[in-house]
Formats: sequence, structure tokens, C-alpha cells
Amino acid sequence: MPLPNLLRLVYRNILVNTDPGSLVILVGLPGLYLVFFGFGFQSVASSGGSGNSYLAYLTPGIMSFQVVMAGSVGGSMLWADRRWGMLSQLLTGPFTRLQYLFGIMLTSILFGLGGSAIMLGVAYALLGTIPGQPLALGIIFATITLGSIFFGALMLYLAALVKSNTAYNSIQILLLFVVNFASTVFYPLSSGLPVVLKVLFQVNPLTYVANAVRGAYSGTLNVTDLYEVFLLGAEVAVVLFLATRAYMRSDVSYE
Amino acid sequence: MFDKPLRAATTNVSDPVISAENLRHSYDRRHFALDGVSFTVRRGEVFGLLGRNGAGKSTLIKAMTTLIQPTSGTLRILGMDPAHDGKRIRSRIGVVQQGESFDFTTVQKNFDVYGMLWGIPKAESRRRRELLLTKFGLTDIRKRRAFDISGGQKRRVQVAREFMHDMEVLFLDEPTVGLDVIMRRTLLDSVREEVRRGLTVVFTTHNLEEADYLCDRAAVIDEGRILILDSIENLKQQYGGKKTIDLTVGNGDPTRFFAALTERLGSVASVTTKGHSAVILATDPKDALSKIAELSQSLGVQLDWLNVRQNTLEDVFLRSVGHGGETLAAP
Repeated sequence: MPLPNLLRLVYRNILVNTDPGSLVILVGLPGLYLVFFGFGFQSVASSGGSGNSYLAYLTPGIMSFQVVMAGSVGGSMLWADRRWGMLSQLLTGPFTRLQYLFGIMLTSILFGLGGSAIMLGVAYALLGTIPGQPLALGIIFATITLGSIFFGALMLYLAALVKSNTAYNSIQILLLFVVNFASTVFYPLSSGLPVVLKVLFQVNPLTYVANAVRGAYSGTLNVTDLYEVFLLGAEVAVVLFLATRAYMRSDVSYE
Repeated sequence: MFDKPLRAATTNVSDPVISAENLRHSYDRRHFALDGVSFTVRRGEVFGLLGRNGAGKSTLIKAMTTLIQPTSGTLRILGMDPAHDGKRIRSRIGVVQQGESFDFTTVQKNFDVYGMLWGIPKAESRRRRELLLTKFGLTDIRKRRAFDISGGQKRRVQVAREFMHDMEVLFLDEPTVGLDVIMRRTLLDSVREEVRRGLTVVFTTHNLEEADYLCDRAAVIDEGRILILDSIENLKQQYGGKKTIDLTVGNGDPTRFFAALTERLGSVASVTTKGHSAVILATDPKDALSKIAELSQSLGVQLDWLNVRQNTLEDVFLRSVGHGGETLAAP
């Protein structure tokens, strides 16, 4: 029996995006962050509340970082499909525009979950321990799912609005840099930060993802973390709405 | 192409497969890419859309394949309204776009992924893939990435891949661009084979020989309007006259010669000139040739080139869009 349309699109997205080169970037880069930063900064970084190991602090951060990578894959898929004519080709096939959009979103989620699971495996190999409680894992992966949707939608929004490949890549690089480093992925929110950076940290959805994942990972989840997850949920709804609207209004036809 | 279609045609045989009435489309609300287009396409025919770049052919294809919603007018594809039944229409049509469309993977995987997307069972998909790779001469490049192959090979992959699934109407938007003569003929023959099995084809092209070879009827479209629409034979007969005489003046005054020639030929021929050359559409080419010979002698004009040929669709096209020079007299 043939798969439903949405799953066919997801399967196709995975098939055409899982060549060795893409996988190295998707999984290898965060893995390298984990190894290099985890060991490299061990001597200078102070613990962020996850025991004494910076690697233990960094692991949930890098798992959270996967949502940004997943989002970036989503945006790139839309951009590439439009650039190489597959978007219009698919939309002259038995698929609707919304199915295509949700196909990309679902693929982003799978990449986010898969990537963070791999990071968890890498962390286990390096640390010899990871959280095993079902509740903690449930919270971690639910937050990763929400984060993947947020960043997937954000990148789709960007891909739907920006007309040039160069502009898209430039914006993406800048955005990813700010999102990654103005978050609690690599270091905790310090009181000594300038106000602007502090605000950036606090409104950055990746901070919410990293805090909740770290809380569940280390068993220190608190009410603020949960509040941030709810806030993330609200932001997901807004960004998803904007992305869907921009995408539905964008020109998908070929020239 | 395949023995057992997976899906049977469900539209009444006598109904037009496509009908468009007063179709208009504007991208910017000022200029109309389609400006009152009306036509029907019958089941099992090859319908050609001929026109220059920017004439409106691709916009019309996009409207028929549900990629854009026409600004106004009525359009029915397989009896359905694209505005409401887009998905149902798309599941019964095939489209070869004018531009490239590939997944960033190997040629073979492009076929496999496409088969999967269209819900073709795996074994059947493999069988079709092998048949198409062989038929379109793609077996040697099956392991190469689709973006690394030549332009002609890409076009072959794109066209062949579309035959992975069953369809009732196939839209081919300039499918032979970049193909060599042999592959062009292979492609056109494959389409013909499918048409014999009941496929309806809408075909846009710049190459009028191809339209002549493949199409049953054709419409010449320019500035968003259909200028003429008829069977290929009728088009050639009615709009082209019977024979075309091409000539080029070497020595002598071409303006004086062409003016005198137009006067002598009168209403039995039309003379279109461009510089030192003229194209004469004559109902009686023998008479026209003798007058050309007489005049060239009496006016001391030497002809560098003189050729009599059967009218082609190109003559029809050039005349209908008013291109090719100054027409001095109409038949």
C-alpha cells in the first residue's frame, strides 16, 4: 500500500538530504563542537550547574543546538527545491502546498530528534552516563520537537521571503551565529553581560530550548524552564502562522 | 509506454480534456500575460502551443497545471475546475517543465524517488525505471548526479522520469531543448506511442518542425492572445499558401525589383521583403518563377539565391505573428 502523501514527501526529503556530505555537516559539526569545546574549554570554563564537567554542561546545549541545524535544513530544502525546480515539479504532482510545507516541517523535526539522539550517544561515549528516566527523556525530546518546529518555521519564513540565494545564505549565517551564541547553549546567562546581550539571551527561543533540555538532562528542571517551554509553544504558533502565510503567498512556479 | 496502466481514465471520452474560455492572467495587474484565450483540447490529441519567448505559452501551461490561478475566465481540466480540484487534476496529469527539476542525487535515485512520490509499487517502479533508462539512453549515466550531466542528458532524464507514472494528460513545456536529433526523435516517437494509447498531450515548442511532426492541432499565441488555431494541415494550407519561393538579390536595385515584382504578381502571391531577400508565397509557383525571371532580366538584377519549397509551419508562424519583414501584398 502506498504511503500517505505527507509521509512520501518526508521520505523523499530524507532520501535526498542524507548524502554523506550533508550528514557530516548535520551531525559532524555539532559533534565536533561537543568534543572540541567540551574538552577545550574544560580547563577555563566554570560549571553551569551540571556537576563539575563542562562537557556535561555542554551536552544538553549541543543537543538543543540540533534544533537550529534542523531548522536550517528545512529552510535549505525549500530554497533548494525552489532553486532547482523541484518545488513546482512536486506541486504539479499529487501534492498540495500545505502537504509540502508540513513535509518539510516533519523532516526538520526528525532531523532535530535524530541529531539530538546522536549527540546523546556521543555524550554517553564521552561521559559514560546519560539520563535514563523516561520523564526526563520525554521532556528533552518534546522540547527538541518544539524547537525544531520553531526554527524550521523561521527558516521557511526566511526562505519564502528572500529572493536571492546569496542573500538567503548571508542572512542564515548571521542569524544562526546570533541565535547560537546569544543563548545558553555554550555558556550560562552571566550577570556581567551588557544589557543588550542579556535581553537577546532572554528572548532567544534557543535559550528556552537549552534551559529546558539542560534542566531535564541534569535533573534540575524548574518552573522557569517550564514557563519558557510554554512561551516557546506560543512563539511556535506565531512563527508557524507567519511562515505558512509567507510560503502560501510566495511564487512557486518555475521560469 | 507500459502495458498495464495503474489508473484508468475516468473522464467521458467525448468531453474535451481541456477547455478554456476567455482566460486572462496578469502578474502585475497592469499587463496581461494571457489576454482572452479560448480553446479546447480533445482526448487523445496532441495540441501544440507555438509562440515566441514571452508570448504566454508557459503562463498558459502554469494555469493548466494549477501552478497559477488565472485572473479571470473559465478553465476546465478533465472536467474539473483547477481552483477547486487542483489535487485531483494533478494526480491525473504529467508535467515536464521548461526549466530543470531534479533532486540533488543520482539519475537512478531521481527515478526511484519520483516513482515513490507517485505511489508506484517498488517492483513496478524498478521495472519502469529500467525500461525508461534503456529507452532514453541513460543507462551509462545512471550513477551520476543529475546536476553533473550535460544539458541534453538532463532534459532526457526529466522527460523520461515523467513517464514513471500514469497520466491522462501530459504537458510538455519545450521538452526537446538541448536534445540531439536522434534523442529528439526518440522523445517525439515515445510521445506519439503514448498518444496512440490514449494520452492527450499539450506541447509547447519553438521548433516548428517538431510541431509539424507531432501535433494534430496547434495554436499560435502572441502577446497573450491566440492568433490562429487549426489543424497543422489546415494551417499550412490556409495561412501559408501552397509554395514558398525564397530569393536573394545579388547585383541590382532590390527595392525597385521587389516593387515591380509585387505589381506583376498581383493578388496571386504575397511578397515579404527584408533587405536584399524576399519570401514569396505563391499559389502558382511556375507562373511566379517565370515572372521573376522576366523581371530580373529586364531590370538587370542578378539573383544570388532562388529556392522553391513546400510551405512549412514556420511560414505560418512568421506570417501570423507579423514577423519577417514588410509584407507588400496579401494573397
